[in-house]
Amino acid sequence: MRRARRFNINGILVNAAALVLVLSYALPYVYLLMTSIKPAADVQQIPPSFLPAVVSLENFREVLQSSALPKAFASSLAVAVLTTVLSLAVAVPAAYVATQYRRRITTLFLLFALVTRMVPSVSLGVPLFQLLKSLGLLDTIPGLVLAHTSAAVPLALLLMSAFFEGVPKELEEAARMDGCTRFQAFRKIILPVMIGGIAVTALFTFITSWNEFLYALLLTSEATKTAPIVIAEYNSVYGLAWGAMTAAAVLYSLPVIVVTLALQKQIVGGLTFGAVKG
Amino acid sequence: MSAIELRNINKVYGNSFHALRDLSFDIRDGEFMVFVGPSGCGKSTALRMIAGLESITSGELRIGGRLVNDVDPKDRDIAMVFQSYALYPHKTVRENIAFPLQMAGLPKTEIANRVDEAARTLELTTLLDHRPALLSGGQRQRVAMGRAIVRKPAAFLMDEPLSNLDAKLRVQMRAEIASLQRKLNVTTIYVTHDQVEAMTMGDRVVVMKGGVLQQVDTPQNLYNRPDNVFVAAFIGSPSMNLYEAVLNGRTLTLGSNSFEIPDRVFEYRPSLNGASNRQVIIGIRPEHMNDAAIRPSSAEISAPVTLVEALGSESMVHLNIDASWVDAGDPDAVADIGDEKAAVARFSPKSTARAGDIARVAVDAEELHFFEPDTRTSIW
Ligand SMILES: Nc1ncnc2c1ncn2[C@@H]1O[C@H](COP(=O)(O)OP(=O)(O)O)[C@@H](O)[C@H]1O
Ligand SMILES: [Mg+2]
Repeated sequence: MRRARRFNINGILVNAAALVLVLSYALPYVYLLMTSIKPAADVQQIPPSFLPAVVSLENFREVLQSSALPKAFASSLAVAVLTTVLSLAVAVPAAYVATQYRRRITTLFLLFALVTRMVPSVSLGVPLFQLLKSLGLLDTIPGLVLAHTSAAVPLALLLMSAFFEGVPKELEEAARMDGCTRFQAFRKIILPVMIGGIAVTALFTFITSWNEFLYALLLTSEATKTAPIVIAEYNSVYGLAWGAMTAAAVLYSLPVIVVTLALQKQIVGGLTFGAVKG
Repeated sequence: MSAIELRNINKVYGNSFHALRDLSFDIRDGEFMVFVGPSGCGKSTALRMIAGLESITSGELRIGGRLVNDVDPKDRDIAMVFQSYALYPHKTVRENIAFPLQMAGLPKTEIANRVDEAARTLELTTLLDHRPALLSGGQRQRVAMGRAIVRKPAAFLMDEPLSNLDAKLRVQMRAEIASLQRKLNVTTIYVTHDQVEAMTMGDRVVVMKGGVLQQVDTPQNLYNRPDNVFVAAFIGSPSMNLYEAVLNGRTLTLGSNSFEIPDRVFEYRPSLNGASNRQVIIGIRPEHMNDAAIRPSSAEISAPVTLVEALGSESMVHLNIDASWVDAGDPDAVADIGDEKAAVARFSPKSTARAGDIARVAVDAEELHFFEPDTRTSIW
């Protein structure tokens, strides 16, 4: 029980520091939450209050009754799911080959993925617009999926490479000795072993697309507008509808939060995957 | 079951490192062959080429008479046990052992029977539903063995399979693997850097150094008739003592000591006859030097004692022999002895030799080894 006393001294400090950190990045979200449950009339009161005087679901009722938001949610979901599937289909095999068959070219390949992540998306918006326009894919789901995939693949590639680094080469070799082709070894042994890492990468890719604003703004209009655009428009189309906007934003953030919490164990396991113990 | 033939096998890695040079030897059907040599000598490379995991730069590899240079690992009918075991972490012990049989497309009942049989052989029955992460090192090692034997392959390849176990378990598993191999009678190649493992387990042993084959022979012959200075020093612990000496007629001069070489040596090594001031490298195993006070001999030398390690059953006596010490090129030997240039003699525990004494040492001169100083090969 000597640990208990130490916990009292150091533990409190550590917990306090953690609390300050958590508050500093959770505060904007908590404020969003508080605003969304205020009656619409109280939202713009001056000076603004942090806690709602009266709890009301009026804002939520309003956004759910409008037709724009459910449609935008459907677009967002379709784009995010397709982007995730496409990105993983490209990045998982590519990352495996790049890490397991180390050559100078594969190192350059990963470095290049990192570099593309550093180009600001603003500077890619216009070329993407031109590309999609010439393909006739402006304001379509496949068009936005391609744009999001171009941004998500490098991220997925880097994440999956980090996970694959921890997979010993002998695992594939053992499978090949046991009668697998290289592809069978990948499918039957490597993929199942990496399932935690793949889940983490899928989640990050999904969130990248789900939250993406700039490409969605540039590349879609009425037909396939995603939810972040619709949420932003509450402040222009309907005047200054802060209440509705915060309610829509809360609703939009819920799926991501729920999935992240549900996958908590896999994510922590995936992020600290390290070497595969055999 | 199959014989394995290597003919002028070369391996040049992508970075143009020449890892194996003209490797040629045969492994007989059912034989337990050990590859031994210091770390980095190319044992794993050779094994992985036989497995098909590493391409063959030039030369021919035959398994059961079939040229397999370009055959996929899965089509070579060979099982391998890896140093890290390489168990599939997401599969249970049962699923790990069953996997090669599933890949071979065997029926379910046959798979179940074979897995149970392998588990019984290796005493894994109670662990069949565990995942590898829950097993101890020794148990993982057994699972890796199980995955190999369940297939009844043409050959087993094992790359330092015991090096991750503690010393006691290693000795136990060494005996178990050797007896299992004898029972199954499957051609086996076993890689190790430990010459004791090589000597105790192998029917024959391939000794390698720097990518070059040194000698292929039975443990007895490697010990008694080493082909060169490297094999002489590498096999046996403590290592053979190697010094430059001069042979004149029957008289050998070793530093400031001289003694007569018995006639039998000249029958055994006829080309030593009629030597006049001939430079040679001589090798004396520790057990062929004794305390002259206990076992007198016609061939005696005297040398200062630098250290006595009393082991109970024997005493390792370090001697400072005033002749030119010969470096055999075995990095492990130097590590074993500590002060590298000392000779080591295996004295009877009754010896009263102490550090600082000048010991009278009886040399069993019939057991001397002779090597050419320039080629470093045995003189016969
Ligand atoms: N993929 C590789 N590329 C270049 N050199 C290698 C590679 N694998 C092994 N080597 C080199 O080949 C030599 C033999 O290696 P290895 O067969 O693993 O030795 P051992 O198993 O006897 O310790 C070593 O010098 C090693 O550095
Ligand atoms: Mg090795």
